[in-house]
Parts: sequence; structure tokens; C-alpha cells
Amino acid sequence: MSKILVIIPAYNEELSIRRVIKDIKQHMPAADILVINDGSTDQTASAASEAGAVVINMPFNVGIGGGMQTGYMYARDNGYDVAVQMDADGQHAAADLPHLIAELQGNDLVIGSRFLEETSYRSTFMRKVGIRFFSRLVSLVTKQKFTDTTSGFRAAGKRVIELYAEYYPIDYPEVEAIVYLTSRKCKLAEVKVEMRPRQNGKSSITPVKSAYYMIKVTLSVLISALRFHEVKTAS
Amino acid sequence: MMSIYSLSVLFSIIFLLAVLELVRRRKLKEQYSLLWILMGVLLLLISMNVKLIEKLAAWLHIEYAPALLFLFGLLFCFVLILHLTLVITKLSKQVLRLTQEMAILKGKESTLHEHHH
Repeated sequence: MSKILVIIPAYNEELSIRRVIKDIKQHMPAADILVINDGSTDQTASAASEAGAVVINMPFNVGIGGGMQTGYMYARDNGYDVAVQMDADGQHAAADLPHLIAELQGNDLVIGSRFLEETSYRSTFMRKVGIRFFSRLVSLVTKQKFTDTTSGFRAAGKRVIELYAEYYPIDYPEVEAIVYLTSRKCKLAEVKVEMRPRQNGKSSITPVKSAYYMIKVTLSVLISALRFHEVKTAS
Repeated sequence: MMSIYSLSVLFSIIFLLAVLELVRRRKLKEQYSLLWILMGVLLLLISMNVKLIEKLAAWLHIEYAPALLFLFGLLFCFVLILHLTLVITKLSKQVLRLTQEMAILKGKESTLHEHHH
């Protein structure tokens, strides 16, 4: 029986976090749930711990990458075999969890993809263009086909937990985190998942942020690909 | 009348003294003062050797020799700023690591307390 940890990075998600945790408990009662409260100014932390999750409070907002890495450090230190990351806004369905974890057999990382097959997920035109651009870029660089590289729904095995605890990209980490693993000779796979529309709140993405995102992530993917021999990142 | 060369010599000397004083008062780490001292000494040497700078300028086809002084100063500034951003990158990495370790430890501590009650 493998030890499973579900990591949920959360920033001001008090309205949806309870339901997300309940959903996981229903579909994966054996998993431990860790909420990384990234400097929220609302009641995210107490809502999460009342719902039965372990909560780690970052003293100030460190961003999604810094928060996720904290989760992987926790998973490594506490000897988990599997770490799953999931969004706090309820867009990922816990019903997909067993499927995602089962696929870790023979893989180091399994990514939940919205586009592997036709699903009910609909997004705006611009977002689709962006997602397709990054999937093409990563497929080109890694020579493996990916359809949804920006997905934050993914399951990691022991090897990836160790690697991510050591190094995890900071600003917009999802895409670069994939390239990093391929440079370390990990096996990656995609699995079809359903994506629900946002339950509460609205996306933090603005046009200016998107432009910065596109440029920054493209640069970091290209540089990541240039690191044939991984340089020492320890400081 | 003061030439740009004597002004440069004067400035270099005051600058070097200021750096040394800052290190003495522990306002500046020795490690980071090295670059500044190097630049002060270099500037002092080339300002005192008017012949040298004029020869160098002629060799580089610069008509106005003191422009070479400014060029040196500017290039040095670029190097120093790059050096500073390297230092900041390292610092922010260390701060993030510390924050993460501390948050995990604090989380552990609070669950221990819950078990005791």
C-alpha cells in the first residue's frame, strides 16, 4: 500500500477549499491532504483544517512555485510514495485521482490533460492558443507529445518528489517543470481528465500578465532545454 | 584651473578612503568591497598617467582622451550591477528556502500541540 499525499496550493480560496477536500476524501479516503496556504488574507487556513487537511501556512505570498515546492519537501520528508497536486478552486475532479495514480505504474510523472480526448472543457480562444503554443514548444524540446503542459493536475512518484524538493521553477512553473524532468531522464505520461468550470472567484490572469507569462515561460523552457548537463542549482 | 585628470585623481582618492572607512565600520562586507577597491585603484592609476590614457585613446581612435575615463567608469558600472543582481538572486533563493523550511517546521509544531491536548 503506497502512501499518498494530495498537495493543494491555496491563495484566498475559503469558498471552494472545503468542497475540494470533501471531494478528495470521498474518492480517495486513504490519501493525506496537505493545503499550502500561501499567505491568504481570508479564512482559507481554518476552513481547510476544519475540513480535515494538514495546513502549512507560508508567512507571506511566495507564489505558486515556492508553495508547490514546499509541498514536495513535505512529501519527501514524510516518506510519501506518491504526491498529487491539485488546484484549490475546484476545477479538478477528485474522481480522476485513482486513474491518475494508477498510471504512475511505470511512469515518474502523470499529467491530467484536458485535451487528450474531447472533453466538455471549454476555454477562451486566446487561452487555447497559448496552451497549444506551449504544448507544441515542449513537445519539440522534449521529443515527446504533450497536449496540456499548463495543467496543474499531476501525480508524481518518489523520484520526482525528490527532484522537485531539490529544484522547482518559481514564477509560472507548470511548463518548465515538465522540461526539467525530461532533462533528468524521467518518464512522463498524460491521462485524460475532466475539467470543471471555475466554481468561485475569478481567474487572476490579465492580458499584461499573459504576455509576461508567454515570454517568461518560453525563455525558461528554452534555457531548460539547453541544460543538457544539469548544472548545480544548490546555492 | 582644474583639469579632468586632477579632478579624477582627487575623486579616486576620496572614493578609496570612503570605501575603506565603510569596511572599517562594518557597513560594507570585505567580499563586496574588493570590486570597489579594484575600481578605485584602477581609476587612480589611469588618471595619474595622462600619457597612458592619451596613448590608449589614440590607439582606439578616440579624439577626446578623457572620454576613455568615462567609458571605463560606465563599463565598470555594468559589471557591478550584474554582480549585484547575481547576489540578489542568491539571496532571494536563500530567503525562499528559509521560508519553506520554517513554514514546514511551524506546521509540524502546531500538529504536535494538537496531539498533546
